Amino acid sequence: MRVSTISTYLTGLSAMQRLQSTLDHTQRQISTGRRILVPSDDPIAASRALEFRESIARLKQFDRNAGIAQNQLAQEESVLGSVNNVLQRVRELALQANNATQSNETRELIAIEMREHLENLMQLANQKDGNGRYLFSGNLEDVEPVSRMGMTFAYNGDQGQRLIQIGEGRQIADGDSGADIFFRIRAGNGVFTATPAASNAGTGIVGQSSVVDPSVWDQDTYTVRFIDPANYEVLDSGGALVTASAYQSGDRIAFRGIEFSLTGQPGAADEFAVTPSPYQDIFTTIDKLATAIEQPIIGDDSRAAMTNAVNASLQNIDQAIGAVLNIRTKVGSRLAVIENQVDSNAALTLTIQETLAGVEDLDYAEALSRLSLEVTLLEAAQQSFVRTQQLSLFNFL
Amino acid sequence: MPDLLNTSLTGMLAFQRALAVTSNNIANANTPGYSRQVAEFTTRLGSGSGNLYVGGGTQISTIKRIYDAMLGEQLQASTTGHARFSTLSTLAGRIDTLLADPDTGLNTGLQSFFNAVQDLANDPASIPTRQALLGEANGLANRFQALDRRFDELDSEVNQRLSLAVDDINRLSSAIADVNDRIAATSAGGQAPNDLLDERDRLVMALSEQVSVSTAIQDDGTMSVFIGSGQSLVIGKQAQGLSIAGSEFDPTRVNVVYEGAAGSTPLDNALTGGAIGGLLEFRSRMLDPARQSLGQTAAAFVQSFNLQQNAGMDLRGNLGGDFFAIDPPTILTSGNNSGSGTVVAAIADLGAFSGADYVLEFDGAAYSLTRQDNGAVIPLSGAGTAADPFVGDGIAIEVGGAPAAGDRLLIRTGQDAAGSIQNLIREPLDIAMAAPTRSAASLANTGNATISAASASDPTDPALLTSAVIEFIDPTTYSINGAGAFAYTEGDPIIINGTTVTINGSPFAGDQFTIDANFGASGDNSNGLLLNGIQTTGLLDGGAISINENYGRLVAGVGGTTHQIQSSLDAQSVVLRNAEDAMLSNSAVNLDEEAAKLIQYQQAYQAVAQVVGVANVLFDALLNATSR
Repeated sequence: MRVSTISTYLTGLSAMQRLQSTLDHTQRQISTGRRILVPSDDPIAASRALEFRESIARLKQFDRNAGIAQNQLAQEESVLGSVNNVLQRVRELALQANNATQSNETRELIAIEMREHLENLMQLANQKDGNGRYLFSGNLEDVEPVSRMGMTFAYNGDQGQRLIQIGEGRQIADGDSGADIFFRIRAGNGVFTATPAASNAGTGIVGQSSVVDPSVWDQDTYTVRFIDPANYEVLDSGGALVTASAYQSGDRIAFRGIEFSLTGQPGAADEFAVTPSPYQDIFTTIDKLATAIEQPIIGDDSRAAMTNAVNASLQNIDQAIGAVLNIRTKVGSRLAVIENQVDSNAALTLTIQETLAGVEDLDYAEALSRLSLEVTLLEAAQQSFVRTQQLSLFNFL
Repeated sequence: MPDLLNTSLTGMLAFQRALAVTSNNIANANTPGYSRQVAEFTTRLGSGSGNLYVGGGTQISTIKRIYDAMLGEQLQASTTGHARFSTLSTLAGRIDTLLADPDTGLNTGLQSFFNAVQDLANDPASIPTRQALLGEANGLANRFQALDRRFDELDSEVNQRLSLAVDDINRLSSAIADVNDRIAATSAGGQAPNDLLDERDRLVMALSEQVSVSTAIQDDGTMSVFIGSGQSLVIGKQAQGLSIAGSEFDPTRVNVVYEGAAGSTPLDNALTGGAIGGLLEFRSRMLDPARQSLGQTAAAFVQSFNLQQNAGMDLRGNLGGDFFAIDPPTILTSGNNSGSGTVVAAIADLGAFSGADYVLEFDGAAYSLTRQDNGAVIPLSGAGTAADPFVGDGIAIEVGGAPAAGDRLLIRTGQDAAGSIQNLIREPLDIAMAAPTRSAASLANTGNATISAASASDPTDPALLTSAVIEFIDPTTYSINGAGAFAYTEGDPIIINGTTVTINGSPFAGDQFTIDANFGASGDNSNGLLLNGIQTTGLLDGGAISINENYGRLVAGVGGTTHQIQSSLDAQSVVLRNAEDAMLSNSAVNLDEEAAKLIQYQQAYQAVAQVVGVANVLFDALLNATSR
C-alpha cells in the first residue's frame, strides 16, 4: 500500500493521543482510587453506588437517632430509679407507722418525712430533660405534667408517646407519658378494693384480698354489711342479696369469684364497700397515707381506721411500684432493642460499604499493572514515531 | 540536426515542467486537502521523412490530480458521522458529570434534607433544629434550581451552536457556489483546474462536519449540494440559505429553517448527521428527557411533601401550610392557532405522571392528547370542565375559551418544574411536625381498654379540630358525643371528623375516650415521621418508584446513553481514521516518492541536455568537414 508522508505523521500522532488519553484515565483512576470516574464509565454500577451511598447516609442518621433515643431513655430510667427508691422508702415508713409501738408523736414525724417524699416525687415527675423539656408530659413538652390543687393532683400532659426512627421501618418510643407512670395505677389489688365505711364503729380490719375466679367476678359494686357483729350479708349495687353468712374474726369473705379476709370485730351496721379498682395516682395515695398516719389514735376504732387506711395505701404503693417496674422493664427492653438495632445497622453499613467498594473502588494491583503497560506502549509509540520520521530520501541527496 | 535540437528542447521543457510539478507537490506535502499532482508525459508526433517516422520528442499532456471520488464520498460520510457523535459526546458528558457529582447532584441534597427532618423528629420542639431544617429546605430548592439552570444553559448552548452551525453552512455553501462558478469558467479549456477542485472538496468536507449532505457533479463541472430531505443548498453558482427560527410553540426553542426559493421550510427532524444532527439529537434524546425526569422528581417531592405537611399541625396550633411551591404544567399556544382556547393543567395522579410534553389538539368537536416523546395518543377521561376535567397520564386538563378546529396547545408537564421550586416556609414555627389531633383515655376509666394514637385520615375535614368523646354505654356499645349507639368491635377503626383511632381491650360502661385538637403538643413528631417517610415511599409509576429511585433512574439513564454515545464515537473515530487513511494513501504526497522523481527528472533533464551537446558536436564536425 502506498503511504503518504502526512499519514505517517497522523498515524503516529493519533496513536500517541489515544494512548495518552487511556493513560490519563488510568492515572485519574489511581489518583482518586475510584474505578468509576463518571457515571457513563459504568452506568449501572454508578446508579447502584448512588443507592448504596444513600443507604449508608440513612443508616448513619438512624444511628444518630438511636443515640438520641438512648439518651432520652437513659434519663427516664434514671428518674424512674429514683421514683422507685422513693416509693420503697414510703413503703417502709408506712409499715413503721402501722407498728403498734408508734406513738402519735412518732407517727407525726413519719408523716412529715412522708410529705417530704411526696414533694420529692412531684419534682421527679416534673423533671426536665437536657433540653429543658418535661420528661413526663407526653407530647405537651412545655406543660408541667403534675400539679396539685389542695387534695387533688392533676396530670396536665397528654398520653402521647414520641417514636424515634432507629432503622428502616423500625421505630421506638423514646419515653412514657406521666399518665402511664404516675396516674394510671389501679387501686387495691388491681381488680377491686374493699374499703371500710368512714362511719364504721367496730374494729374490722380488711386484710389480704384476691380474685379466686376472674370469670365470675362481674365488676359490680357490692356492700358487705354487718347485720350484727356475728352476721353479715353481701348486697349488690341494686340492693339484692348476694350471700349472707356468720362471721368470726379472720374469716375470708368470699362471693362472686373474689375474697378478702377480715379481722377484728366490726360493729352492727358497719359496712365494707367492694368496688372495681379505680385508677389512683401515686401522689394521692401518699397524700392520703400521710393524712391517715397523722390522725391521732384515741381508741380501737380509730386505730382500726388507720390500719385500714395504711393497709389500703400499702396495696396502692405496691401497685405503683409494680407499675414503675413495668415501665422500667419496657425502658430496659427498648434500650436493648436500640442496641440490637445499632449493631445490625452497623453490620448492614459494613456490608453495604464493602459492596460499594466492590462496585466503584479501584483494584490497585490491576490498575498499576495497566498503568505500566500503558506507559510502555506510549514510550514505544513515541520511539517508533521519532525513528520513522527520521527516514527520508532527502537525507541522501 | 535541427530535429535533434528540437527533440531535446521538448524534453528539457517537459522535464522542467515535471520538476515544477514535483516541487509543487513537495511544497504542499503538509497542505490539508491537497491532492498530489502527476505530470503525464506523452510523445509528440514526429514528422515524416521519406517513409520513415522519426519521433518529435515529448510533451506533458496533462497535470493530473490524483483523487478518488469514491474515497472522497466515504470520507465525507464518516466525517459527518464522527462530527455528530463528537458533538453529542461533548454535550452528553456535561450532563453525565453534573448529575452524579455529590456537589451538584440531587442525592446529597435530598439526603441532607431528610436527615434534617429526622433530626427534627427527634426533638420537634427545638427551634434551632427547625431552623436547620429550613436551611436544608432552601438548600434542596437551590439544588433543584441549580440543576435546572445548568440544563437551561445547555439548552442555550444548543441554540447558540445551532446558530453558529447555520452561519457556517451559509458561508460554506456560498463559497462552494463561488468555486463552482470559477470551475465552470476555467474548465472550458479542457484542462481541469486542480487547485479549485481541491478547494471545493475541502469546502464540502467542512460542510459535512456541520450536517449530512449529498453531492452530484454536473456536466459543466459544477457540484450540486443537497441537505435534509433533498433541499438544494447549492445548484451551480446559486446557493440557498438556512436560517434559525423558534418552534411552533416556543420562540426560545430554536430550529433550523430552509430558506428556499419557494419560501421557508422548517427542517426540524430532517437534518441528520454532523454537528447540527448531534445538537438536535442531544436536545431531544438527552436534554429534554433529563429535564422532564428531574421535573417529575421535583413535582412528586413537592406535591407529596406539601400534602403531608398540610396533614400536620405546626407549633402555632395551625394545620400546616404548603412547604414548597412549584409551578403547574406550562401551557404554550401554537403560533398557528386561530381560536382563543385556553387550558389549565394540573397533576392529578403522581402514579401515572410522566413529566413529558403533550400536545392537546382540538379537531373542531373533540380534543385529543398526544405524548410528544413517543407519539402515543393518550385516552382522555372526563369532560374537560373544572368539575370534571380531562384526565390522561395523571394530568388533569381543564379547557375553556373558544378554540378553532386544528388549534394546538403544548402542555409541558415536567420540563419547567424543577426550576420553579420555592421554599414557602419562612418561620421555624410553621413546620408541622405534630399530628393535628390527639387521643386520650380518661383516667377515670374502669375498663382496661386502650386507644391508639390519633391519625389524621382526612386532614381536610372542616371539623377536624373539633373535640369528640367516645363514651361506652355498655362494654359492647359506645356513643359519640353522647349521641348514637355504635357496636364496639375490638381493633376496628373509628373515624370521627377525619381522625381515625382504634380501641383495644375491654371497656366498661361509662369509660370515656377523647379526641382533641393537638394544641401545644410541641413534643409530638407523628407527622414528622410521616414527612420523613416520603423519601422512600413509592410515588411514581403506579407507586413503584420513590423520588430517590427516580433520580437514580435519571442518573443511570443519562450514564447509559452517554456510555453508548461514547462507544459509537469510538467506533466512528475508527471509521473516520480508516477513510482518512484510504484518502491520504491515494491522494497525499509521499516525499520519498517526490525525491525519487526529483532524481529521475533531473537525470532525464541532464540526459537531454547532453543531446544538445551531441548535436553541437555533430554540427561542429559538419562545419569542420566543409570548411576544409
